[in-house]
Amino acid sequence: MATLEQTRTRQDHIAEKIKKVQELYADAPEVGRTALKNGLEALKRELAAAPVRQSAGRIGARRGKVSELTAIVPLAPGGGKRIRGLLDVLEGNFKGADLVGTLHDMRFVLLDNDTKLLFATTYDGEWDAYIDDFVTKIPNSMDILFCNCEGWPGIHSPKVKDYIAKTQYTADAWYVASPNLTVAEAWRLEKVGKAVDELLDKIG
Amino acid sequence: MLSVKESSDANVSTQAPMLDLHEIQATVLRLRPAPYFGSHVLLRIDEAQAGRELLRRLTPHVDSAANWWRPASAWLSLAISYAGLEAIGVQQNSLQSFPEAFRVGMAARSRQLRDEGVNDPENWEPLFGKGEIHIGLNAFSDSKEKWQRIVEMARGQYQSLSGIGVVNVQDFGAQPDDLNSLGYKDGIDQPPIEGSGVDPLPGQGRPIKAGEFILGYPGEAGVPLPMPQPDILGRNGTYVGYRKYQSRVGAFNRFLRANGSTEEERELLAAKLVGRWRSGAPLTLAPDVDNPALGADPKRNNDFNYANDTHGRQVPFGAHIRRMNPRDTQLTRLTDVNIHRVIRRGTTYGKPYDPNAFSQEDDEVPRGAIFLFISAKAMATMEFLQQEWIDEGNFIGIGSERDPIIGRQEEGAVFTIPKEPVRRRVHGIETFNVLRGGEYFFMPSISALKWVASLSG
Ligand code: HEM
Repeated sequence: MATLEQTRTRQDHIAEKIKKVQELYADAPEVGRTALKNGLEALKRELAAAPVRQSAGRIGARRGKVSELTAIVPLAPGGGKRIRGLLDVLEGNFKGADLVGTLHDMRFVLLDNDTKLLFATTYDGEWDAYIDDFVTKIPNSMDILFCNCEGWPGIHSPKVKDYIAKTQYTADAWYVASPNLTVAEAWRLEKVGKAVDELLDKIG
Repeated sequence: MLSVKESSDANVSTQAPMLDLHEIQATVLRLRPAPYFGSHVLLRIDEAQAGRELLRRLTPHVDSAANWWRPASAWLSLAISYAGLEAIGVQQNSLQSFPEAFRVGMAARSRQLRDEGVNDPENWEPLFGKGEIHIGLNAFSDSKEKWQRIVEMARGQYQSLSGIGVVNVQDFGAQPDDLNSLGYKDGIDQPPIEGSGVDPLPGQGRPIKAGEFILGYPGEAGVPLPMPQPDILGRNGTYVGYRKYQSRVGAFNRFLRANGSTEEERELLAAKLVGRWRSGAPLTLAPDVDNPALGADPKRNNDFNYANDTHGRQVPFGAHIRRMNPRDTQLTRLTDVNIHRVIRRGTTYGKPYDPNAFSQEDDEVPRGAIFLFISAKAMATMEFLQQEWIDEGNFIGIGSERDPIIGRQEEGAVFTIPKEPVRRRVHGIETFNVLRGGEYFFMPSISALKWVASLSG
C-alpha cells in the first residue's frame, strides 16, 4: 500500500503536469482552451496512470512485447515508379510476411510525388533480432523491395542495420491495445478459440 | 603440445581441412576431454608493457587447433577482453573496429541480454562487470596431474610480472562421471563446422559455414563477417562469451520432489526439462525409459531430429535442448536455425550434484557451470538466444514460458508437457541457474597474439 507521503508526491506530480499542459494551451485557439477546461477531469485520470514509455532497442518505441518501426526513406530515381507498380501487382498480398511471423502490420505510403516512402510496421521483439535471418532466408524479397531506396547497401552488406536505423524515426507517442499479444500468440489464441467452439458444438 | 594419443572417436574427414588450423586456438575446436580437469584464470593488466611481456611468454604455450580431433592431454588458450586490449596498448583505430557490444562489455549489455532481477550485473560477484578482467586463460586437461602442471607453468609466467594482477582463479571439472551441476551428462552436441577436417556425426546436421565461428571465412550469408582491423589481428580469431552460473540445486531437487512422487517420475520430469535423460540418452530415441548405453554412445546419442515429434509428446517444445537447437521443429517465426549456433565449452565447477540436497543453504553452495560460448558473432548470438529462445516461448508457440534450465523465472512460471489427451502443466518452476558474472573476450589467432605482443608504446 502506498504511504501517505507517496500519495501526496504523486498528486503534486499530477498537478505539475496539469500546470504544464495549461501553460502549453495558454495561446491555443479558443476551441482548444475551452475543451481543456471541460476535459480537465478526464485528463487528470489519464495522467494518473503509470508511464509506459520503453525503447525497442537501438531505435523505435516498445510496449510490452511489441515494437514500432517508422521510416521515411528517400527513393532512388525510378524507385517510386517501381514500388508503386510492385505494390499494385501484389494487390495487397503479403504471403511472405506471414512467414516472418513477427509482423503485425506493414504500411507503405508514397509521399511527395513518389520521391519518398513512408514505411511503418508493428513487430514483435527487439529491433535487430531477426535481420540476420532475413539475410539468409529471404534476401531476394528484401532487395527487390528496398533496392528502390536511395543508398540501399544491399541486404548482404554489413552496413544494412546502420542504413535502416538512419532512416528510422522513433514514434513520439504510440498506443498499443494489447502490448503482450505477439503475432504467434494471436494465431495460437485463434486456433484455441476455434477448437473450443468445435468442442462446445459437439457437446451442445 | 603435450603428448597426443593415437585413437580417436572423431569422424575425421577424407578431405583436407580448409581452415588455417595452425592459426586458430585449440580451444575453439578441440572437444572437452573425458574426464576433464581445468582452470579459468582471469588477469588484470596494470602496465601495458607487462601485458605484452605476458603474451610473449605465454604464446609459445598456446596450442593451435592443428589435428584438433586427436585427443590431447592438456592445452592452454588465451583470450583478451576489450578493456584488456585497451590496457595492453592496442591503437584507437583498431579498438574502434570491434563491435559495439564487445567494446562496452557484457555487463553494459544487460538490457539486451535480459540479465535483470537476480541476474542483474548489480548482483554479480564483485570481480565481474568492473572492467578489471583483461585476460582470460583457460586450461583443459584429461588428467589431474597434467592439468596441475600446465596451470603451474602459466602461474610461473604471470606471477613474476609486477604489472599483472590476478583477478580470479576458478578450477573446474573433476566431477563424478563428468556430470554437470544438475546431474546431467553434457557437452554432447556441437555445431558441425565446414572445412574443419571432421565430418558431422550422425544427427549433427549439415556442416555450417566456418565464418559463423571463425573470423575471415564466409559465413552462412556467403560473406565473411566484419573483422577487427588490421587483418592480422582479426583473421582466424573469434569471440568468447564467458558466463558463470550458480546452480540452485536445492530448489531444483525440491521442484522434482514436489512434482514427481516416485524416483521414475522425477527422472522422467528431469528428462522432460532438458530433452535428454540424465544419462544423455535423447527422449526422441528413448521416450519412456532411460537407456544409458545409448546416452554414452557418441555415434547414436545425437542421431535424431523432431520429425516424429511434431506435437512435443517426446520432447516438450519448452525443453532446454529443443529451444537451444530446434533442429527441424516448425517455428512460428522466420528463423535460420544455422545462424544462431555457438560452440559450447561447458565447465562444471564446485561440489558435485547432490540428489539429497533440498535446503535453501544448498542453493548457495558454490556449484554450477561456467559456459564458454564461441562464435564469430558471440555477442549478437547471446543476445538473440537470451531474448528469443531462453526468456521467451513465442518462437516455438508456447507463449511466455521460459527455458526451464537457464531461464530467469517470474512469479507463477510454468512448464508445459504436451500429452494425450490433455497436456500437463507443471507449476513452481524457479530460476535454477542464477547468473553470477560474465564477460566477452576476443580469442585471437596465434599470429595475432604475437602481433599484439610486439606492439610498441
Ligand atoms: C548451468 C547451466 C546449464 C545447464 C545445467 C545445461 C544443461 C544442458 C544439458 C544437460 C544439455 C544436453 C546435453 C548436450 O547436448 O550437451 C544441454 C545442451 C545444450 N545446451 Fe545447455 N545447459 C546450461 C546452460 C546453457 C546455456 C547458457 C546455453 C546457451 C546459450 C546452453 C545451450 C545448450 C545447447 C545449444 C545445447 C545442445 C542442444 C542440442 O543440440 O540438442 N546451455 N545443456
